[in-house]
Amino acid sequence: MSTVVIPLIIGLAFGWSLHKAGMTRYHKIVNLFRLTDLAVLKFMMAAMVVGVGLIYAFVGFGWVTLAISTPVYVLGNFVGGLVFGVGMAGAGF
Amino acid sequence: MSVLSTPKDEVAEKQPHSNWLMTQIRKPEWSPYAAGTMLGITVALSLLLAGQMPGSSGSFENLIAFLGSKLDANNIYFRFIMPAGITWQVWLMLGVFLGAFASAWLSHDFRWRKMPDKQWISVFGSARWKRWLIAFIGGAILEIGAGIAGGCTSGLAISGGVQLAPAAFLFIPGMFISGIITAAIIYRKNF
Repeated sequence: MSTVVIPLIIGLAFGWSLHKAGMTRYHKIVNLFRLTDLAVLKFMMAAMVVGVGLIYAFVGFGWVTLAISTPVYVLGNFVGGLVFGVGMAGAGF
Repeated sequence: MSVLSTPKDEVAEKQPHSNWLMTQIRKPEWSPYAAGTMLGITVALSLLLAGQMPGSSGSFENLIAFLGSKLDANNIYFRFIMPAGITWQVWLMLGVFLGAFASAWLSHDFRWRKMPDKQWISVFGSARWKRWLIAFIGGAILEIGAGIAGGCTSGLAISGGVQLAPAAFLFIPGMFISGIITAAIIYRKNF
């Protein structure tokens, strides 16, 4: 149940918000990098502001422990981002 | 199929919703701030309910690992970093697909498309193979980048970012720098 139903429900909400924000469209993604339509940035920043607030409130209440899955590896994180950006701007995903 | 191709004015007639919720559900696009708020709540609830954070690129790696570990049984990446399995992330990805599908369907935005709607043709022309080839290569580059960095836009930038993970704030600038350069090269005439 918790390994199937919960991720499915979280995924539903995730996918719903992605489509409603227009993230499924080629021009939305590419125009972020042309700096002509910052919807992707607004979407990501809004998610972060709300998410950081809620998660650190939960941490403060002692309800959750952080689940940071990616270790800091300065060169890898940054170079991976560089490679990623080429694919993202090219394909528009 | 007939439902999909309903003309616009017919759709408008069919939905005289004075109900606020139904109006929002049927809207093809929300303000990015509203959608982002929903995503922020979603990732926070994910940590609260499941103790895990959502990510997308990992699920594809978990799936392709079934093939990858057959081709090369000693592959370290598929043995230790991204082992094959129908993982939590794979179910999440199925949910993402269904959620986006539900949103598109309910807002009458769902169509079978072989090409992007806007812009693509003005730069690359109308050849369909070009779109499919570039989408494939771009997708592969993106997944390699996510493999090196340890996550993608969702798993690292958002899920990491909301926990203030340093890795996310190394990844995001990298993604923007090369994304802007790539877009400038592709759109050099009208960047």
